[in-house]
Amino acid sequence: MNPIDAGEHPATAGLPGLVRAAQDGDSMAMAELLDVLAPYVARLCGPIALGDGADAAQEALIAVFTQIGQLREPAALFGWVRAIAIREAVRVARKAHRAAPAELRDVPARGDPQLASEVRDVLGRLAPHHRAILVLRDLEGLDEQTVSDILAVSTGTAKSRLHRARRRFRQEWDR
Amino acid sequence: MNQHWPVADLDPVRKLRVMAASIPGTGLTEWIIDAPPELVWQVASNLQAEMPRLVRDFRSVTVTAGPGERLVMHARGYLGQRARFDVVLRPGWCWMQSRFLLCGMAAAPDPDGTRFGFLGGLRLPGVTLLHPLLHLIGPAAVRLDRLQTDVQRHLGQQ
Repeated sequence: MNPIDAGEHPATAGLPGLVRAAQDGDSMAMAELLDVLAPYVARLCGPIALGDGADAAQEALIAVFTQIGQLREPAALFGWVRAIAIREAVRVARKAHRAAPAELRDVPARGDPQLASEVRDVLGRLAPHHRAILVLRDLEGLDEQTVSDILAVSTGTAKSRLHRARRRFRQEWDR
Repeated sequence: MNQHWPVADLDPVRKLRVMAASIPGTGLTEWIIDAPPELVWQVASNLQAEMPRLVRDFRSVTVTAGPGERLVMHARGYLGQRARFDVVLRPGWCWMQSRFLLCGMAAAPDPDGTRFGFLGGLRLPGVTLLHPLLHLIGPAAVRLDRLQTDVQRHLGQQ
């Protein structure tokens, strides 16, 4: 799995100036920053909030832009946004009562040509906090310390949670 | 397998909601129009014709092209007031900012046709003091029923 890091994001060259302008109330800069951040937030919220991913992404971006004045170092933008997006996605997923695993009758037949659909279905059988740690470790490629900081848990908890999430994912995938 | 992970669909109207919720002094109105998004946008994005129809305070509008998606729009009000807007216009999305005013439009598919959003707002110091009245700005300033009429007329001409 290829990790995604801030250096791979497009349109980051003029980012510090864009962040400063948005912080100063320039809505043109804010709209441009929204164009840069929306795909990233959508990618983070989708696997965690699933069917409520659009709501989660919208709420996460509202939180980002209402708090943008608190971001002191524009270079830290993507890490800061990531922490907000994960938090909002887990919150929205839990609120939508998606914490309970799906019924086994929802498991798709093996050989389903829609691999993306299968991944989505398997993720749907995991708890939101398990989806969140899979996104951070396996989609974003973050280290254990960073993941535990974002999720506000100890590194030991993050490690065991990741182990359980991966095992659960494999079990559901192999069904 | 990463490319197969689900991605949230953040359509332009949801982006407009983000702008409305994040910028003090703005109000957002949403309207369902019984027509395809491409057709609605074809009508709405003709700023010169449609903005004076939709915005109560605009008497006339002229638009000049800029680089890429950028445009410049000059609006004149009924009392002779003028405003120069920087504009970003692309399919489904339009954002406009002048010294004192903000406008935004967005369109996205909806089961009943098109969800259309219009944002209006003021860029004034201390505008948050007007907070209890701000939710009235968008609905009071814009006539989205006229957009529906214009879209239906456009459909009839096709």
